[in-house]
Amino acid sequence: MISKNLAVQVLNAGLATGADFVEIFLEENPLLSIQVENGHVKEINSSLQYGAGIRLLKDLQSVYGSTSDVSRKGLLKLASQLAASFSGPAIKSVDKITKKRNHNYYPAEKRLDYIPNQEKIKLMKECSNLMSEYDPSIKIARVFFSESIQKVTIYNSDGFHFEDTRPRLRMFFLPIAVGPNGMETGGEGPGATGGWEFFTDVHDAKNTALRAAEQAVRTLNAKECPSGKMPVVIGNGFGGVIFHEACGHSLEATSVARGISVFSNKKGQQIASPLVTAIDDGTIDKAWGSINIDDEGHPSQKNVLIKNGILTSYMIDRLNGRRMGAVSTGSGRRQNYSYEPTSRMTNTYIDNGKSTPEEIISSVKLGLYAKSLGGGSVNPATGEFNFACSEAYIIREGKVAEPVKGATLIGSGEDILKNITMVGNDLKRAQGMCGSVSGSIPVDVGQPTILVSEITVGGRGGKLQ
Amino acid sequence: MNKKYLPFFDQAKKLGIIESEITFQKSRATSIDIFHSEVSSFSISDSQDLVARGVLNNHFGAAHTEKVDKANIINLADQIAVNASLNENDDPAIIFKGSKKYRKKNIYNPEVDSVSVDDKIKLLLDIEKRLKSADKRVSEVSSVSYEETYSEFVLMNSYGLDLSSKSNYFYIYAEVVVKSGDEVKTGYKIFLNNSFKDFNIDQFVNDVVNDATRKLGGKPIPSGKYKTVINPKVTSSLLSFYMRSAVAENIQKHTSLFEGKLGEQIASKKVTINEEPLKNNIFYTYFDAEGVATSNKSFVEKGVLKTYAYNLSTAAKDNVETTGNAGGGGSKIGTTYVNLVLKPGRLSEQELFEKIQNGFYLTEVQGLHAGLNPTSGNFSLQASGFVIRDGKMAEPVSLITVAGNLLDIFKDVVAVGNNLELQTSSTSAPSILIKKLAVAG
Repeated sequence: MISKNLAVQVLNAGLATGADFVEIFLEENPLLSIQVENGHVKEINSSLQYGAGIRLLKDLQSVYGSTSDVSRKGLLKLASQLAASFSGPAIKSVDKITKKRNHNYYPAEKRLDYIPNQEKIKLMKECSNLMSEYDPSIKIARVFFSESIQKVTIYNSDGFHFEDTRPRLRMFFLPIAVGPNGMETGGEGPGATGGWEFFTDVHDAKNTALRAAEQAVRTLNAKECPSGKMPVVIGNGFGGVIFHEACGHSLEATSVARGISVFSNKKGQQIASPLVTAIDDGTIDKAWGSINIDDEGHPSQKNVLIKNGILTSYMIDRLNGRRMGAVSTGSGRRQNYSYEPTSRMTNTYIDNGKSTPEEIISSVKLGLYAKSLGGGSVNPATGEFNFACSEAYIIREGKVAEPVKGATLIGSGEDILKNITMVGNDLKRAQGMCGSVSGSIPVDVGQPTILVSEITVGGRGGKLQ
Repeated sequence: MNKKYLPFFDQAKKLGIIESEITFQKSRATSIDIFHSEVSSFSISDSQDLVARGVLNNHFGAAHTEKVDKANIINLADQIAVNASLNENDDPAIIFKGSKKYRKKNIYNPEVDSVSVDDKIKLLLDIEKRLKSADKRVSEVSSVSYEETYSEFVLMNSYGLDLSSKSNYFYIYAEVVVKSGDEVKTGYKIFLNNSFKDFNIDQFVNDVVNDATRKLGGKPIPSGKYKTVINPKVTSSLLSFYMRSAVAENIQKHTSLFEGKLGEQIASKKVTINEEPLKNNIFYTYFDAEGVATSNKSFVEKGVLKTYAYNLSTAAKDNVETTGNAGGGGSKIGTTYVNLVLKPGRLSEQELFEKIQNGFYLTEVQGLHAGLNPTSGNFSLQASGFVIRDGKMAEPVSLITVAGNLLDIFKDVVAVGNNLELQTSSTSAPSILIKKLAVAG
């Protein structure tokens, strides 16, 4: 987007008043979104995100600016404006830039921009129709598709130049079932980094659409979930959102470095049941949350956060690394150029254990099987979380019994981690968007089926009997 | 009309797009974070956003770019033509010719720009210092931040409609962590305005610390149904979800709780819900996303549903006039409210406590987006609050869930407080007193 020569000038303009590090982040990101409802294209939108962010660091201070004017004039003006926050002589300068190469974890076989939109729409319509035909109670069968080809270019005052092109695609199935007692929704949102091959060769979109329809219809006919404390089996895949929300955020340097996380200063300590090994891995081939380099240019890596219950690593970005006296773990991420990067998750999951899902369920006399979870939130200072179950059943005498709706799981991350008493061998990942200080970014969550000995369950169905 | 955009309208015409429209938004923002007596983050941003839409063969096409040069301005018209040709949405596609009268007011306040960055930083440092010393239990001031935004908005269309507005606002946000033994709680407050004159630092610091300390020692309460006072913050969150049901699009799609209820009693007689887009505050808006003049009006009067909220397309379907509630942009024109207000009553919050004597005071709910189903109205939410005993706020309650149905909440309103509070969502509500709320401990 800009010449090396201009990059050097902008970096030096940023360094002029004593900053010890300057970084330019350039982004060009064409996006496409399509919505199909009951077999018809309802909306189609194309857009272009385009701009630059410049960051100056001086010890633990950071100043950040962004602009959609990436002309020479625009960038030099921004760098000087930011430099005005510091006062003093320059302590370093840049004279040459070297390009760093990186591994590509997501080479596209069928480039998204080469596939005609008609082909994408065809698959969406098929999925929409399958949901409508699944059951007469499905009145609205929505399918969303979004793709983006985010091209990132980074220059920094260490004299390096990095590039990463991240083609991402995701389809979202949202059926609404209507019955005499109201309406319920189902939801599935498979996605990947790579090309259109994800939906032609890897993932069976039609089957996933049917699962979403099944979820909506089943919830429609389910009873209200009972409330109280009970053992809970959390299903694999999106069940991993529990770890993401309740523990993952508290392991981000964003809160750890400030000492406001429940896991601050706990490295080397037992923070979870010995059955728990948890990993954040940005290098998984073509995964939705994968990145070749983070948004600071660090190569992405596999970080073991918790090994057999012991806290082994945080997720660290450049600035918080300075605060903690630690190196980056390739975790500096941001939604786009208008956000300053900070430590974030990529593909985060609890690793496989030894139990089979059947063994886990059969060990519970009376409890809840939270097969699939919806969204949730957590307070990083207290670790308190809550999330809603999108598909849940009562377990009776070791068997999955009647479906229930309206279940909410609440508790604290610290407690949950310690109360995991069985870990399955059926690890699966699922896709989500994670919102935090540096914006909304694609992440995978994941886990095998697990058993938590006790969680507070909220619902409107009275006491569990 | 700004000549810069004429090439777009020319290109659109060439492609057979007779009706077309562009909106252009330019904004400038500054934000400052303080941590441990230092500026930990300072950021500025300049952004521009050009959105265009047009009608081809009765279908909308839309496109958007942040790269605003001549080539991209012309390219928008090409993309509109491509997107419109794939669009099968049969909803009426209308570009607006203009309202008779617009009530334009200047709400931009130069005061925000006239205060220097250094003075703003000094104010934040002062807040941090006061928060630290306000209470021994404050173990960390986890955030003190400031953000100001200035924006200009222009809407132009092929009928010659040419509307513009500019506005600015800032907010100050602070959050503290308090500790007592092993127990940790957090508290926060946001002050949102476009004038520093209304900012009272003592009050602000006191509110932040109190929000955290008063939660210490919180315990669940026995499960059951409680007479409940709901504070302004939670009431306005519930109100926002409730009023989604008055959006005509949701009625037309049969996903609303208010379908077929026009003119009927949907809520308690104590409930009146107005929309005041022309109210003189930072959210003031005199034209909607389609260029229609906005107006102040009542959606629910003494519990009776008076009108649905319309944009041009949903209004054309029902053969009525739009209510000027279009929101969003591009092909995603939806429906929105500006300054939605639950009309306050006469009693203070304390008088509401006295009215019920014993019950529950609900002050926080978590996970509204996941735990509340806007189409069925059912909710089950993690919550916290306080016991009300002998007409007074007593010990804190935490780690409970509250469950119910949105329709019932507003049917069960016994009294509305006088403590109207504006929230960052532009929705404002006072405290309400409801007959019963199911609490699970």
